[in-house]
Amino acid sequence: MTCEECQENLSQFLDDEVERSTSESIQTHLSVCAECAKLCEDFAVILDSCRVPAAEERTPPNPDALWRRINNIIESEGPAPDAPPETRKRSVRGYTFSQLASAVIGIALISSLLTIVGTRNYFEPSGEDSVSRSRAEETTFEKVLSKVGLIESPQEARLRRLQEQQAVIDYWNKRVMERRSKWDAHIRDAFDRNVREIDQAVSEYTIILQKDPQDELSGEMLDSALTEKVNLLRAFSEL
Amino acid sequence: MALSDHHFSRNKYARRTTIWILMSVVLFFGAWPSEAVGQKRFNRTYPATKNVRLTLVNRSGTVVVEGWDRPEIRISAWLEAPAALVVPQTISGTILVDLVRENQGRTVGNVNFEIQVPRSSIVDIETRIGNLSVANVGGGFVRAVITSEGDITLTNIAAGSVEAQNGIGDIFFDGLIRNGGLYRFSSMKGTISLRVPIESSFKLVATAPSTRSIDLGPFRSNNMRFVSDGRRVAGQSGEGAATLTVTNQRGNIAFLRR
Repeated sequence: MTCEECQENLSQFLDDEVERSTSESIQTHLSVCAECAKLCEDFAVILDSCRVPAAEERTPPNPDALWRRINNIIESEGPAPDAPPETRKRSVRGYTFSQLASAVIGIALISSLLTIVGTRNYFEPSGEDSVSRSRAEETTFEKVLSKVGLIESPQEARLRRLQEQQAVIDYWNKRVMERRSKWDAHIRDAFDRNVREIDQAVSEYTIILQKDPQDELSGEMLDSALTEKVNLLRAFSEL
Repeated sequence: MALSDHHFSRNKYARRTTIWILMSVVLFFGAWPSEAVGQKRFNRTYPATKNVRLTLVNRSGTVVVEGWDRPEIRISAWLEAPAALVVPQTISGTILVDLVRENQGRTVGNVNFEIQVPRSSIVDIETRIGNLSVANVGGGFVRAVITSEGDITLTNIAAGSVEAQNGIGDIFFDGLIRNGGLYRFSSMKGTISLRVPIESSFKLVATAPSTRSIDLGPFRSNNMRFVSDGRRVAGQSGEGAATLTVTNQRGNIAFLRR
């Protein structure tokens, strides 16, 4: 018997489904061929493991008792049929009064916050936005919110705005530097004079704000001067 | 012989004089062309509706816009060498001239504009460097912006809203303040002078943080308050029907009676 014939009949051999003569031939071959013998051994192991039931598939020792325990747990989590009438009265559509009260307070807080923000945005002149507002102008509610970190204080807002503007200035400055060599001398001079003037104003406001961080006018003017600088850089980067 | 010598010397003198005259003429016209030949002229006229809008973006040079009674826009420009590309476009009632876009990356000379527009036009002019002047216009809006240096002169303006902004230079406004209008004047350094009728009705926020020089002139009243250590004036004149915002970072603000 060749190896191929042996391997073809190996599965049936292990299941005792081959004729005696074939079985004897296979046994003879397996005794002389190590490779087929190894294959036969592996096959046998696989078949054995398939025949032995898995631990998970084994039935529990007492399935009825297990089911009863599960059923008891499910019933104990459901609403008690003999609940007192007071409890029923205090719930509306499955919500307790405490839950409803919390929801009402939450809605009231959110709507008042939205009203404050909306009113402020509507009435305030554009030059006096949250960036330039002083600490004195904050409402108690806003102070509380900024204390707990829910909103940023005017100083924090100003600092954030300054950082943003500086990043924009850096960007346009690079663009200007790329183009500057192509400008006429009089354009270059005019540009430099204006940048100097703006930088001087920025420097003045910065000094004032270092002394008095709550000086809202200087904050506003600083913001305005930096915006001017951005506009100047952007306009000249197009030349 | 003496006569002949005399004749010769007279001829010599006449010839020398002629040469001098010719050289003077050559020198005169030789020196002049550097400007005259270097300049190109651009002229174009467009039919305009009543509420036509003129939008002009110049690089450098002066721009003068005047209102007239004809239903057309006339654009005249003097182009210094190297001459810039001037390509006006007409887009749905707007005459657009953008020299920055058309000449990006090129080295070009000053372009000086003289433009006539119907009085009711919307005028929106901008330049990087140079003076801007607008006169006799009363359309919906006048905007004059100089990105860096130059004076802005707005005379006899009756527009619904006005915006004038420059870096270093003066701003002069002479005109009406319309009810419901927005008027914004802003400079980095220079003098902002506003000449408006005494009966004008506006809310005012005027800020001169560096000089604290805000002269309200005839508009000084109890309705105007100096705040922030005199760096700002806030208040209103009349019913406060218009909004007037004046900011001069490092210069003065003055109000005059019209």
